[in-house]
Amino acid sequence: MSIRGKTAVVGIGETPTDRLGSKPDEARKSTAEYLAWAARLAMEDAGLTKKDFDGQGLAAIYTTNHSQPFWPEEVAAILGITPGVSLAGGNGGASSVSLLGHAAAAISAGLCDLVLVIAAASPFGERGGHRGAPADTRDYEMPFGVMGPNCKISFVMSRYMHESGMTEEHFGKIAVTGRYHASLNPNAYLRKPITIEDYKKSRLISDPIRLLDCVLPANGGKAYIMASAERAKDLRKKPAYLLGWGECNNASYGPRYRANPLITGITQAGKRAFDMSGVAHKDIRCLNLYDDYIPIVMIQIEDLGFSGRNDKAFFEKTDFTFKGDLPIQTSGGMINCGQPSTTGGMLHVLETVRQIRGEGGDRQVPNIKFGISTGVGAVNYGKNFGCTAAAILGSEA
Amino acid sequence: MADDKLAKKPLPEITPVNQPFWDGAKAGKLMMQKCQDCGTWVFCPRPVCGDCASDRLDWVQVGGKGKIFCFTVVREVVGQALRGFAPDIPYVTAWVDLDDGPRFCSNVIGCPIEKVHIDMPVEVVFEDSGDGVTLPKFKPC
Repeated sequence: MSIRGKTAVVGIGETPTDRLGSKPDEARKSTAEYLAWAARLAMEDAGLTKKDFDGQGLAAIYTTNHSQPFWPEEVAAILGITPGVSLAGGNGGASSVSLLGHAAAAISAGLCDLVLVIAAASPFGERGGHRGAPADTRDYEMPFGVMGPNCKISFVMSRYMHESGMTEEHFGKIAVTGRYHASLNPNAYLRKPITIEDYKKSRLISDPIRLLDCVLPANGGKAYIMASAERAKDLRKKPAYLLGWGECNNASYGPRYRANPLITGITQAGKRAFDMSGVAHKDIRCLNLYDDYIPIVMIQIEDLGFSGRNDKAFFEKTDFTFKGDLPIQTSGGMINCGQPSTTGGMLHVLETVRQIRGEGGDRQVPNIKFGISTGVGAVNYGKNFGCTAAAILGSEA
Repeated sequence: MADDKLAKKPLPEITPVNQPFWDGAKAGKLMMQKCQDCGTWVFCPRPVCGDCASDRLDWVQVGGKGKIFCFTVVREVVGQALRGFAPDIPYVTAWVDLDDGPRFCSNVIGCPIEKVHIDMPVEVVFEDSGDGVTLPKFKPC
């Protein structure tokens, strides 16, 4: 049994993001408030109410400052919902895309016909609970001063530049494109256009990673609602059908003790999504790729097969803007819209839905039928991402 | 920041799985797990081989020479847990591919930062943290 076309995203909700004090009038809000806000927005968007979710599915994503083991139950309590199916997202930044498949499986199997997928975080607004680290990180990275993802992706980027010959010009072009899209997205946080010179001049954080390579930590909440294809027909908005989905975790390209970090599990997750959907690469008109760092966007374009490996000329000649050859990061990405912990990855699902609905406003991709979203999470020791997921959404089942 | 000078650096948690590694480091030996059944290296330490699932893993001493696979220069502290590193900034962390062993993440010391490069030959040196743990680090060779 395939889940192809059996379900659709029928509602999306996105609160504004803030950094508590970076801009005037940013009020302090807790994670609970962002959760309630995001849920309400998604339900209004779908034309549903809280009552519709009793006995249905609730999928809550663990965040870095809310990782207590009963988090999905706490979220149900905050929202006042009595779920009949409780799902959890434990794959970090990959969770939002992973849960598209998990929710679709639950719906297709008849366990429920609605799932609310939700995440929120307020790292600037409240301290939150326990924050742990995987044993490999705790024992073999932190004692050597590895500063989390900044360092880990710097390792990857250092090797990527060495093997591919990509330069600041290539990375800068992706950064400039993302910011350009953000300038057209009223929900983005950083909206002032930048140039490649701005990119090159931005300060080094962990060589070769610069400030303008990095995601922007923020507060905020996001949610989406999935429904069976049948239920979707009667709801308020045009459905964005889930046509292809794949997940790949703990991938290793080469021996586990010395893997190639320039290939990620998105290779396998993406292939599964393409195989399931039957959609051709040329028909995908929007790529919303998990963007904790600029080089990761580029590696995923390679992983998904939109370009060859280390193909500098491809990155030089391709127009990645919304009206170009291969539109990417049409929301501006998390780098410009903000990353409220693992909530950040929801952005890439929401943006593909917006594009497929034709709600992209000034950044609407013309004639779009299919888009792809990816999520990645955890950077494994000496490798690249641990959790990866890819999903293809389309305007028709 | 005076606070950062007092802040301690995080140390590994010594567990039954990784203890031979840290005991070895204290004795000036770089110890790694090798699968007796399929012969692959296993690192970080595990109870079973990640390739063939065998639990017959040996701890063997490796030579400690290798090459830099990639590296970064750390210029900013991120997170409270790591602020003990603030006085060391800027410093180099690298993935070292050991000539006779797995990839190992550590610091490159005893070398000006601007001289560090990919493929640079390095060898292990053992640095006493002063807190009961010895950290294997690397210097040019």
